[in-house]
Amino acid sequence: MFGHTTRRRFLLMSLAIIAAPVANAADDRPVRFGLTAVVVRDSLSFFERWADYLGRRVGRPVQFVQRRSYRDVMQLIETGDVDFAWICEYPYVQASPDVLELVATPIFQGVPLFRTYIIVNRDSPFATLEDLKGRVFAFSDPESNTGFLAPRDLVAKRGHSVDRFFRLTFFTYSHAETVEAVADRVADGGAVESYVWEHLRRTKSALADRTRIIERSELYGFAPIVMRRGIAPRLGTAMRNALIGMRKDKEGAKLLVDLSLDGFGVFPSSTYDSVRAIARRLNEEVSLQ
Amino acid sequence: MKLRRLNSWSLSVKMPLTLIAIVAGVAFTIGAAVIVEEREQQRAALEGQAAMIGRAVAATAAGPILQNDYWALYKMLKTVTAFDPATARDSSVNFGMILDPHDRVLASLDPANNPIGLHFVTINPSEEQRFRDLLRTENAVTRWAGDSGFVEAVAPVRANGSPVGLIVLRLSAQELGARNWSAAAMVLGLTSAFVLVGSLLGAAISRRMVRPLCDVVSGMEQLSQANLHGSVPRIAARDCDEIGQLVETFNRISGELTEKRRLEREMALGEKLMALGRIAAGVAHEVNNPLAGMLNCIDTIKARPDDPQLPKRYLPLIEKGLHRIRAVVQNLLVELRANQTGPTDSAGCLEDVRRLITTEMEGRGIEFRWTNNLEQTVCIDELHLAFCGRCRRLLPVIHNLLKNGVQAMPQGGVLAFRSWLEGNTMIIEVEDSGIGIPPEDLGRLFDPFFTRHSGGTGLGLWVTYRLVQNMSGKIEVESEPGRGSLFRVRIPQLLPGKVAA
Repeated sequence: MFGHTTRRRFLLMSLAIIAAPVANAADDRPVRFGLTAVVVRDSLSFFERWADYLGRRVGRPVQFVQRRSYRDVMQLIETGDVDFAWICEYPYVQASPDVLELVATPIFQGVPLFRTYIIVNRDSPFATLEDLKGRVFAFSDPESNTGFLAPRDLVAKRGHSVDRFFRLTFFTYSHAETVEAVADRVADGGAVESYVWEHLRRTKSALADRTRIIERSELYGFAPIVMRRGIAPRLGTAMRNALIGMRKDKEGAKLLVDLSLDGFGVFPSSTYDSVRAIARRLNEEVSLQ
Repeated sequence: MKLRRLNSWSLSVKMPLTLIAIVAGVAFTIGAAVIVEEREQQRAALEGQAAMIGRAVAATAAGPILQNDYWALYKMLKTVTAFDPATARDSSVNFGMILDPHDRVLASLDPANNPIGLHFVTINPSEEQRFRDLLRTENAVTRWAGDSGFVEAVAPVRANGSPVGLIVLRLSAQELGARNWSAAAMVLGLTSAFVLVGSLLGAAISRRMVRPLCDVVSGMEQLSQANLHGSVPRIAARDCDEIGQLVETFNRISGELTEKRRLEREMALGEKLMALGRIAAGVAHEVNNPLAGMLNCIDTIKARPDDPQLPKRYLPLIEKGLHRIRAVVQNLLVELRANQTGPTDSAGCLEDVRRLITTEMEGRGIEFRWTNNLEQTVCIDELHLAFCGRCRRLLPVIHNLLKNGVQAMPQGGVLAFRSWLEGNTMIIEVEDSGIGIPPEDLGRLFDPFFTRHSGGTGLGLWVTYRLVQNMSGKIEVESEPGRGSLFRVRIPQLLPGKVAA
């Protein structure tokens, strides 16, 4: 009789001991999650639902933070203002492993990869990238692989001087707005991430349908979700598990449908080798100059 | 011609029409003023809107211009002007552009036609100069180009005091035009409705006002037509205004006139009765005198039936008395006889009258002057077309007047007869140099049994007067006691249409 009671009390105590640090960790401080132009942020309610979903999984409220450029978001990571971020693959391969760590990679059309589309206005006469010589071209972000480096790489591969090929270029700081710039004919051509374009075609077909693809690049590792070094490993694991687990429950699956993604997964670093190759070529170019 | 016709329009038509015209004139003038004012206001509002948008873009454009952030500039233009390239035609902004100081396009709402980075080439040289001048201005400038269908706002962009760009915006004025049209249509509709209601109201009011006047007019007509009989019904006065007073006055006048006519009728009746009395008295007197003599004769004959001398002596007296009575009766019936016209009766000639009267004044020392200037000199029959059926009435008239002249000159004198045509009137004058007629007798001259000498019956001139009246003629007398009298008879010619009657 006595032993029974003692054992139950012990169990309760040990539960309390285990619970204490969890309770400490589950403070009200929100987990800040940086977003870039990688995702199309056209629905506020979606991000509220996603933040709510992730918050429940990691045990702390999640707050999305949007900045116009990749550089701004990278700075937020460096200064510790955000804990996680969905960044572009180029800043990821460029960044020091001391600064950030890969959490998960989105799976798009079955693979953790995407590419760059060179798009022109549906009604324009342009058929190839060559036709855009001397024209106005829209990039998304100077730190973007698919929105800046990859199209430049495509031009360079054809033997053109990248800086003189186009008459005028500008940054829209958003893949979605690149599509808009081309659709409105402000730019004759633009480089857009395949994921964003396909997502827009699904969600905003009126805009995407006013453009057409004239060139597709090779595949690159999909823009990853990273966390800054120095946050609690348990939080990182919780976020990774929350992201990876999205495809396993109904609510998460619905959010993935809204994101036009198949899910999140953990993939080897070699997934980003093609990005590293571009970065290398670019660095060689820079060093040559 | 038209004016005269307008003048003859009824007041009940003219007044409502005038009111309608006034109401319509005022309403349409106000409507037009409202439309013009509305148009001006809309235009000013559109210019203000253009200037506001221009200033809004200019105020935020300096930073992106300096950074060559073409996309930001385009988004700014697009956002501020709410321009949607997919449905460009539905937007009020149909042209928007940001230029750098060298007329290069930094952003354009129509990038297909004005690509960024290139010179804005479609403007003509004068416009180019205008934009260059505007680069130096401090404030937004608007320009109304309604003919081209837009309002233009040009706003310079300045950074640290120097011009770095120029915002050019054009707002479509076509929508404004459409709005103006719809506003004009609304105002016109309202005005028309107002005119319709106002006109109906005005027409009703004026009809109400004019109706008593119309009643008075028709009452006047009735009054003039209702000669001696019947009376004019009273007109009900609605208001106590001038028209009401007019109606009241008319009612009073018509009442008084009716009363006067009634009195006249009564007086005429009285006069007739009096004349009848006079005639009866005259007849009684004229008949009574011979009757008394005749009865005496008969009494005497009856008293002495065996005396064979008596009938021989008295029968002529009785016969004379009866002739006298017959003469009186015949004269009284002369009017009746004159009216019994028949084709078998042959008219006498003026010459017959002349002969007759000449024999009558033989031995009286009278000089007779005969002047017949009627175109057909001798016989009145010749004038029968013009004076048809009246010759037999005319001859006794002339005969009576001549006889009257002879009687007026017991001591002899001059008797003149003149006849002529004056236009459509036949004029006959008989003038004597006899004793004349005292003024107090002139009024009774043509009364029956009025006589100024013992021998006459007093019916001659009365018969003459009745005959002349029968011929719709007139008889005038001019006389001076002691110097003679002039009788003038005027007989109007019958109109051809009336000849048969």
